[in-house]
Amino acid sequence: MLTANHIHELYRYRDLILRLAWSDFKLRYKNSALGFLWSLLDPLLMLLVLYVVFTNLMRIHVEHYQLFLLLGIILWNFLDRGTSLSIWGIIGKPSLVQKVYFPRDILVISTCIMALMMTALEFVVFIIFMAVFRVLPGMTLAYFPFIFACQFLIILGLSLALAALNVYFRDVQFIWKVIVQIGFFATPIIYPITIFPENVRWMVMLNPMAQIVTMMRDCILYRTGPEPLSLVYLVVSSILVLMIGYIIFDRLEPKFAEAI
Amino acid sequence: MAVLVEHIWKTFQIPHEKRNTFFENLMGMVRPNHYETFSVLKDINFQVDAGECVGIIGDNGSGKSTLLKIIANILRATKGTVRVKGKMTPFLELGVGFNPDMTARENIGVYGTIMGLSRREIDERIDDVIEFAGLYKFEDTKLKNLSSGMQVRLAFSTAIQTDPDVLLVDEVLAVGDMEFQQKCFDVFNRYRKEGVTILFVSHDQGAVRRFCDRTLLLGGGEQRAFGETEEILDKYVYGAKEASLEGKEAVEKETTSVEPKRWGDKKVSITDVKFLDKFGGESGIFSSFDPMTIRIFYNAPSIIRDPVFGIALYTEQIQHLYGTNTELKNITIDQIEGEGYIDLEIESIPMLSGRFLLTVAVHPHEGKAYDWIDKQYSFNILPVGRDVGIFEVPCRWVA
Repeated sequence: MLTANHIHELYRYRDLILRLAWSDFKLRYKNSALGFLWSLLDPLLMLLVLYVVFTNLMRIHVEHYQLFLLLGIILWNFLDRGTSLSIWGIIGKPSLVQKVYFPRDILVISTCIMALMMTALEFVVFIIFMAVFRVLPGMTLAYFPFIFACQFLIILGLSLALAALNVYFRDVQFIWKVIVQIGFFATPIIYPITIFPENVRWMVMLNPMAQIVTMMRDCILYRTGPEPLSLVYLVVSSILVLMIGYIIFDRLEPKFAEAI
Repeated sequence: MAVLVEHIWKTFQIPHEKRNTFFENLMGMVRPNHYETFSVLKDINFQVDAGECVGIIGDNGSGKSTLLKIIANILRATKGTVRVKGKMTPFLELGVGFNPDMTARENIGVYGTIMGLSRREIDERIDDVIEFAGLYKFEDTKLKNLSSGMQVRLAFSTAIQTDPDVLLVDEVLAVGDMEFQQKCFDVFNRYRKEGVTILFVSHDQGAVRRFCDRTLLLGGGEQRAFGETEEILDKYVYGAKEASLEGKEAVEKETTSVEPKRWGDKKVSITDVKFLDKFGGESGIFSSFDPMTIRIFYNAPSIIRDPVFGIALYTEQIQHLYGTNTELKNITIDQIEGEGYIDLEIESIPMLSGRFLLTVAVHPHEGKAYDWIDKQYSFNILPVGRDVGIFEVPCRWVA
């Protein structure tokens, strides 16, 4: 469980967490010198396709739609990448589980941090886009780190549960892929929340990712701070997801070495 | 007290049908899955003092490695508790977490961190590690392009940088050539001198004898004995009676050569031969340099005057090693009648290791043998030291 004791232990292992994250991150881009650029191509191509389709065919009219869309894609990619890589966090490293011991959530945490590093690179591109389209963020940008931290906790919570479940049920990875796909369309990424009638919006906004994407856009692109109630909801839900993730992980952890 | 193991039980449940996916589990709700339960460890209790070196021995499948993994916290005991004081480092495998696509230098960083070194320690020692592994020219080469020998050297020189309080070692010494093994021994000696507590699982009794103050003997998941190494090793070697006697029978059946196995006019017949260990018990396995008594049982239906008993020793490849008899040793047996036995006492077995065949015979001073049983008995010798060859030549180096 995420007790003060455990957090202290994780702090003692900070070198290991960062070293694992950093070496995985480097490996990802090392095999081709252009690896880094290729990885950026993915969200940009997606942006291009969605932009063309939705501005011309669907006629969605949103201020700074390019940035609106790109921010949504980057944030969703963070969740997608963090969880899909973490699913392999335990079963992908059998020798680290069977031949040596350290708290095993470190494997998941370091994978999530690697996903964070990749997302940070995409944000660099996003900043360039903002400069190109001459959009300046306001004071509300101060909310960004806070919301981003909440998103990280949600991704970590989901990743812990998924990584642990995937040790025992190897099809969790496929099931999760489908869920992520559905989530992409159920979350206001390509469209604004306003396309829904007023009375069903709250249902869409129960999804913490919908809260995150909406709040991020408001505070980065539209100089609007989040509503206090939404903020409280986000904090509570992200802590809840993290706790549930840890409960599932801790329940399944003792037999990892036998089940891999 | 550095390590305390109390009432450790470990059972593994092995399902008849392995269900690896969510889907299979859903489908399997209809048919319940049956489990086979194996008790791998049964009530293990022992305590290791700080700075002590303890060996863990036992046959394959006796639970040695499982016990070590439970102490390392990799596997969890079904019941019981393990307490370890201080920083523990397991050497269960060299090069854990090595990545073939990273350079030697990067791998040292990752592996060193896994083995519990801080970033500063790694930065300080990384050049020593590369130097020690002899990979100065290859520090920026990807691991996959290094030979496997280089990889092992790299892993080893990184691993020995750790400074644990408790070290768990599992058969690492079994891999590698003589020179590498010697290096390992040197390092373990250094650790011992520094007062590191070591738990050492090994098949190599010689190594256990040289390193370990005390030894734990496991058999079939049970704690057979725990105590001074010499005493426990004797128990292990001479305690495995049933197994070793089976070995003896096997020889008698498997030798189906064309040559006759036994001949003689049976005026005296040899009824049995027993190998007795230093405790007077029968055994088929002996440690090198231990005493051994060969007891030859005979039966003479009528009085036989002045018989001669003899033996001959062979290697498994039927090289004649040694032969002697009572006549050559100037022993005169006046007469024998009925059942009896004669002993040949060997003060210290000079053979180093392997299986040896024995011929026993009884014959008159001149003429045809009463009974001659050719190479039908055998015993095994386990090595104690690290000398090589068939037998030891008493000698010493003078420098």
